[in-house]
Amino acid sequence: MESAKADEKLQMFFDGELSPQEEAELRRELEGSTENMAELRQWEQMREAMHGAAAEWTAKLDSDALFARIEAEVSAPELPSEVERAPVELRVVPGGRERRIWGGLATGFAAAAAIFLAVLAWPEEPGTTPLQMARGTEVVAVDFGANAGTVFEVEGGAGQPLAVIWIDDEEMGMP
Amino acid sequence: MLLGAWLYSGVASAQQTSLARSDRDATSSVPAEVLVVLAKEEEGKIDPQLKKLTALRRPPFNSFRSMKILSKPKLTLTPGKDEIVSLPNGRRLKLTLLRVMPDGRYKVRAAINRPNKSDYLPLLQVVASAGDPFFVAGQSYQGGTLVVGVTVDPQKTSK
Repeated sequence: MESAKADEKLQMFFDGELSPQEEAELRRELEGSTENMAELRQWEQMREAMHGAAAEWTAKLDSDALFARIEAEVSAPELPSEVERAPVELRVVPGGRERRIWGGLATGFAAAAAIFLAVLAWPEEPGTTPLQMARGTEVVAVDFGANAGTVFEVEGGAGQPLAVIWIDDEEMGMP
Repeated sequence: MLLGAWLYSGVASAQQTSLARSDRDATSSVPAEVLVVLAKEEEGKIDPQLKKLTALRRPPFNSFRSMKILSKPKLTLTPGKDEIVSLPNGRRLKLTLLRVMPDGRYKVRAAINRPNKSDYLPLLQVVASAGDPFFVAGQSYQGGTLVVGVTVDPQKTSK
């Protein structure tokens, strides 16, 4: 029981829910517990991984289009539901600490999953691409040999850069 | 926990799909077209097929007053395999698709030489997006200059 309380306190510390006094007290306690410190580090790593993944996915998200769609769906007339919602069954889950920790993680995963699925399932608008692809041509390596040469960049019809490699033709007797 | 595992497997599956697509792209062939143009500074006709290639009206090409298409061979580039195009001046253009980049562009190696010689352009590596040409110009031919355009384009049919 004591252990469960300590774990709950640790979880509250991780979530920033302790009072400054409690936090200071726990910090002092933690300095002597490698096990608790290791657990905290593990949670921190998981949180960072989730934040990283969420940031990456949201960066790719077309937020304007997403909000436009949400707005359209919110303002759409509500359809009458034909099926009565079944009453939610509640059950007691033993182990308050696990429920608390995994409940927090599950919420994080669910949010990340929702963003991830939204990115995957979001229909492309005609004429647009979700990720801007690089256009044009560019020289990455060139060896002019014994000749003199210049690399130009000329604008293509769509404004994209096109590579021009101009090499002076030294050989005079060519057919 | 299950949700985490499901999400992880979803991400892993998406990554595998993406990798599989990348691998497939990297080993499959892609059509390309080589445009061999004789450009001259003297007044003359511009081949109507070149009108849409607006790049040829801009520097360094804008000094040319006439342009004639000498050939327009289509070929298929396969990763790691050399494709040879004979040029009218006796040299040969060697093209090799090196790889498909993660962003979908194509890394292409080109060389222009006479058989068994390295007299003109020993090596050129270009990254090109589908449908966008790169040009190699400057070879003298019949009082003009050869302009060679290379376009990798999966939408073009080869040969």
